[in-house]
Amino acid sequence: MKILIVEDEARIARRIERMARDYFGPQLSYLATADSLEQALHLLETKAPDLLLLDLNLNGQDGFDLLQSVVAGAFHTIVISAYTDKAITAFAHGVLDFVPKPFAEERLTQAFARLTTTVRKPEHELKFLAVRKQGHLVLIDVQHLRYIKGAGIYTELHLQNGKKVLHDKSLEKLEQLLPPSFARIHKSYIVSIAQAEKIIVQEGSSYQLQLHNGELLPIGRARYKELRSKLL
Amino acid sequence: MQRLLYLLLLLFAITSCQPAMEFEAADAVFRTGDDPRWAAPDYDDTGWQTERGTTGSQVFWVRHHVRLPQWDSTVTLGVLVRSFGGFEVYWDGTRIGSNGWPASGAQAEVPGTESSCYMVPAALATPGPHVVALRTTQVHLGHEQRFSQVKLYSYQGLLREPLIISGLMNLMAGALLIAAIYYLFLFVSSSQKEYGILIFSIICLLCFALLLAEYVRYYVDIPYPHFYTRLEVIGLLTFAIALLVPLYFAIQFSLPRKAWLGSGLFVLLSSIYVLNYPHYDNTAILLSQAMWVTSVGIVLLAAYRRAKGSVLVLSGLLSSAVSYYFLYFDYSLYITFTIIVLCMLYLHAIRVRVMENEHRAAQLLSARLQLELLKKNIQPHFIRNTLTSMLDWVEESPTQGAVFIHALAKEFDLLNNMAEATLVPVGQELELCQHHLQVMQFRKEIRYELEYTGIDPAELIPPAIFHTILENGITHSLPPPDGRICFRLSVERAAHSQTYRLLTCAHNRPLDHRPRIGNGTGFEYIRARLRESYGSGWEFSSEAVPEGWLTCITIAQAA
Repeated sequence: MKILIVEDEARIARRIERMARDYFGPQLSYLATADSLEQALHLLETKAPDLLLLDLNLNGQDGFDLLQSVVAGAFHTIVISAYTDKAITAFAHGVLDFVPKPFAEERLTQAFARLTTTVRKPEHELKFLAVRKQGHLVLIDVQHLRYIKGAGIYTELHLQNGKKVLHDKSLEKLEQLLPPSFARIHKSYIVSIAQAEKIIVQEGSSYQLQLHNGELLPIGRARYKELRSKLL
Repeated sequence: MQRLLYLLLLLFAITSCQPAMEFEAADAVFRTGDDPRWAAPDYDDTGWQTERGTTGSQVFWVRHHVRLPQWDSTVTLGVLVRSFGGFEVYWDGTRIGSNGWPASGAQAEVPGTESSCYMVPAALATPGPHVVALRTTQVHLGHEQRFSQVKLYSYQGLLREPLIISGLMNLMAGALLIAAIYYLFLFVSSSQKEYGILIFSIICLLCFALLLAEYVRYYVDIPYPHFYTRLEVIGLLTFAIALLVPLYFAIQFSLPRKAWLGSGLFVLLSSIYVLNYPHYDNTAILLSQAMWVTSVGIVLLAAYRRAKGSVLVLSGLLSSAVSYYFLYFDYSLYITFTIIVLCMLYLHAIRVRVMENEHRAAQLLSARLQLELLKKNIQPHFIRNTLTSMLDWVEESPTQGAVFIHALAKEFDLLNNMAEATLVPVGQELELCQHHLQVMQFRKEIRYELEYTGIDPAELIPPAIFHTILENGITHSLPPPDGRICFRLSVERAAHSQTYRLLTCAHNRPLDHRPRIGNGTGFEYIRARLRESYGSGWEFSSEAVPEGWLTCITIAQAA
């Protein structure tokens, strides 16, 4: 586990660091702290972390721009901020959790635990996926998604307008963020349930999902039952 | 505006009360020489001159043929004579009075007044033709071929008419005098010398003097040799008013190029005055017309620029033109002046309202700044970050945590005490800074030091100014390798100002142009506070210097 802490107050940064070390123990292979945006961006590029712990106000600089660019990354982001009113925006853009300051160890531990579980919090739904496209960031409304296909460490976002966009996060990471209106139907596919037409049972009891546009997606054996219950 | 209308109606009503009696009067005839028979009504004066001619100190006679159509015998008939000289007056050969005394032999002339009135004995006031004869000399102003005029009216009416007119005019004069004194006091006592107010006061005083000069003849006997002195005074007063009124409007409506306007108007008025000299009435009419036209021009321009109150002033000026059209010049002139003064008063009322609004805005600003000050340290992000650090200190080192909590409590206390003040002693401000730095030291784990030289702790400055500069310094400085950031405050005193310099000795963070939150409004707060307390008498600068960051505040001392 590689962690980057972005926090401009030394005391708080040390507190987070201590708690992260306690939680991850030997799993933690790398931990760095940045106290400014520039330093943070530099570290993100050179030493890609698995988890970013982010303060939104860095010496008066608004972390919102940063937030958009970091949630487009392959790693998960947990915001630790005094700006509690920004929590909903942060969730809508795809952070894994929002820990309001001041925080106790339990709250941060709870946030760390979300890394390994897929339990979703429906009250703060992801609304946008930030995607890097030719150097700048594009926000994609999750309602415009048809399905998502895993492509190695990346994912392909298939949109309803037929376009295809690459995203840096893995299918697993996206699955943790996406609202319950999305279902994992296969080790390589997440589909928007609103786009599903019907399940086609083929010979040799293999299953396929037909979408409204006629496209057929494979359904993993293990996931068939869960999907059927969702569709019915 | 409604009052103005009533005043106009009243004046129209008065002018309509002019004597309604009809009488016929032929032009006066003159003859040099002295013969008591020339007073007789049936004396044949054909061949007498229609002009006085040169008479020197010789006696000459003037005969006026008048016809009284009918007369109520219970009413005393009066004769009004307007003529230059010292003279005796005869009605159908009977002497009815004298105005001064004509020169005779060794006795010098006693000059009379330009206008005088006499009672006609009841027995002689019969309908039909009569002769009013004057036995007169005009030793002074020998070249002046002044007309000689008589008017028949009830004697009481002749006495009362000037009283009514001067009564009304005195009312107006009193109002003008009070306005003049009030605005003079206003100008003298006001800290901002508004020259519009001074000019207004002078205009009121001049109008007052003009009314006095015009109607003084009703209660002071002015011998005819001094008749023109009064007219000259009136001319000069009119000149001054005609110059100042348009200038006043230009100032009040803040029009550009007032000096040009003033000099142009001065040249125009001077040429009117010189070219028409000595036609006094004509000069006064032309001067006031020039004033009116210029004022209308200025107010039109102001209306075009949508200046407040300009439309009302314009309608006031136009209504004065109406009075000029309908009324005898002497009255319309004063009505015009009155209307203009009323317009000016209205403009002043507007001005006062604007000032009131400004005052209220200033109060609001103070209230807003108070809030801003309190908000500074109760902002959620400040409190939440502080609490997070505090939590950590308490968990790690309860003793230090307690020190931290005390420092924060002290900072809150000080801010709370300052909240309602617009100025606080520097000493108190520095105490606040020390506590803030202590709090920030616990949070950032950087040693902050505040050094100061030459500070007088009793001096006053707006609250939380240095505090805001320190906040900025903390935010924008990179943590140094030795973990120490020093703030150096010094003061430099000059003859009429003092400059506070606060140097943050540290490496500045690279500037970036992303939108900022939190402390981004710090400088605005400082500027607003300085404006609140010192108006425009301050300067503020903040810039990077080789040693770090330097913020300077120069405050001009009130003279």
